[in-house]
Amino acid sequence: MSSADKIDLFRLHKDQYAASKKPQLIEADRAKYLTIDGRGAPGSQTFSAKVGALYSVAYTIKMTRKFSGGRDYTICKLEAQYWFDNESQSFADIPPEQWNWKMMIRTPDFVEDDELRSAVEKLLEKGKEPEVQNVRFEYLSEGQCVQMLHLGPYDSEHETVFQMQAFAQQQGLQFYGRHHEIYLSDPRRVPPERLKTILRHPVKAAAH
Amino acid sequence: MKDSTEQVYKKRILGVLIYIQQNLDRQMSLEELSKKAHFSPYHFHRIFRAVVNEPLKEHIRRLRLERAATNLRHTDRPVIDIAFEAGYQTHEAFTRAFKTAMDCSPSEFRSNNDVRTQNHRSGIHYNRRPTIKDLNLIFGDKKMEMKIEDMEPARVASVRHVGPYNEVGAAWEKLCTFLGKEGNLGPNTRFIGICYDDPEVTPPEKIRYDASVTVDDDVTGEDDVVIQTIGGGQYAITSHFGPYDQLGKTYAELFRRLMKDNREPRPEPCLEFYLNDPESTEPEDLVTDICVPLKPTR
Repeated sequence: MSSADKIDLFRLHKDQYAASKKPQLIEADRAKYLTIDGRGAPGSQTFSAKVGALYSVAYTIKMTRKFSGGRDYTICKLEAQYWFDNESQSFADIPPEQWNWKMMIRTPDFVEDDELRSAVEKLLEKGKEPEVQNVRFEYLSEGQCVQMLHLGPYDSEHETVFQMQAFAQQQGLQFYGRHHEIYLSDPRRVPPERLKTILRHPVKAAAH
Repeated sequence: MKDSTEQVYKKRILGVLIYIQQNLDRQMSLEELSKKAHFSPYHFHRIFRAVVNEPLKEHIRRLRLERAATNLRHTDRPVIDIAFEAGYQTHEAFTRAFKTAMDCSPSEFRSNNDVRTQNHRSGIHYNRRPTIKDLNLIFGDKKMEMKIEDMEPARVASVRHVGPYNEVGAAWEKLCTFLGKEGNLGPNTRFIGICYDDPEVTPPEKIRYDASVTVDDDVTGEDDVVIQTIGGGQYAITSHFGPYDQLGKTYAELFRRLMKDNREPRPEPCLEFYLNDPESTEPEDLVTDICVPLKPTR
């Protein structure tokens, strides 16, 4: 298979992964993801186990498909949604132990449920992380969103979110639904001040 | 007092520089030159680059071109003879190389007295015998983060690649597909390149490189995939940030630092740990840990 046939969803949907230093409006189409849900502080043991399980499944599906001559694709960067039990709360209000999250890897539509099932079976058979059982396929249709690049440590994200909110307001829009982020850098290797993260939040017409 | 590693290296490299100048007319192999300098061929090219601040192959090529320039200026000999002497088989190849180095064609250079060869950063030029002062270079002018660690031996599955570095992709694809389809790639998997040769010295078609991935004890080899154990012993480790084709610069910096610290490499291959997926990472965001095996301290 030539590399020209290889699908890179980030490149294919460049407009949805725009990483501007100023807030901007984007349109996020219906998108398929491999996902795993959890609760608690990012970086905790459960968190790492779940993210690890998600990656193991993603690799196993891709390589099995590639081995059998199926259409090849790039494994996309990790993305995440965060939300809180009480919708009106924000990151600043509650401790990380109470954050709900969904870790996600965007995956081409042509990857089938069977492929996920057999990958999970294979990993369990090999005695790998049991969390792989909790990896699922999900679709997101976020529609219109405000999006912006956040540069720096995760714990200063609120400054960027604030700018995004102000921008939405100017446009006569308001946030709704879940905070979404796309990790462009690997936090294990990149110093906090150089971390690049795309922040996204769905918006709708502001209530009068 | 005993000479520092830095001084010992400089003396030995100076011997090689003079030897190179005296033998520009013929092909010199890496083995021959490393022997001359009493270095293991494993690391000779990297030490050379670290001390001279110019890759070995590039150094020889430049000196040949500079000599050609001198001959053009001061003799009436035909250009093609001078080209042959500089190691070029055709007029065209010589002209191309000359133009790149000197910013003008050989005939322009011959007819125009105002054109001068540019001084190279290595400070060593063909018509002047190098001295140890030329090698008083950029030791420690840049802060580089380096750590020295005992590396646990690791069990890896490898696919051997022989050929240019920019074609290692096929070996990686074969290896990752073989392991990945059985669920053997996960969050703790390490991706390691074992580098036996250097592209600045070894002809591209002969470069040996093992694409390697850490595996559990139950994984066995098959066809082109072999299992081996790597690491063990002390390594100097530094991180390279950016595209893979810039790794050579960081290697040079690391070797300069080692000399300054009086540490010598062990005659074993260097290891490269790739920390991102190059498929989904922009070249400038790539991070690679370079690991150089060290001899025990004296």
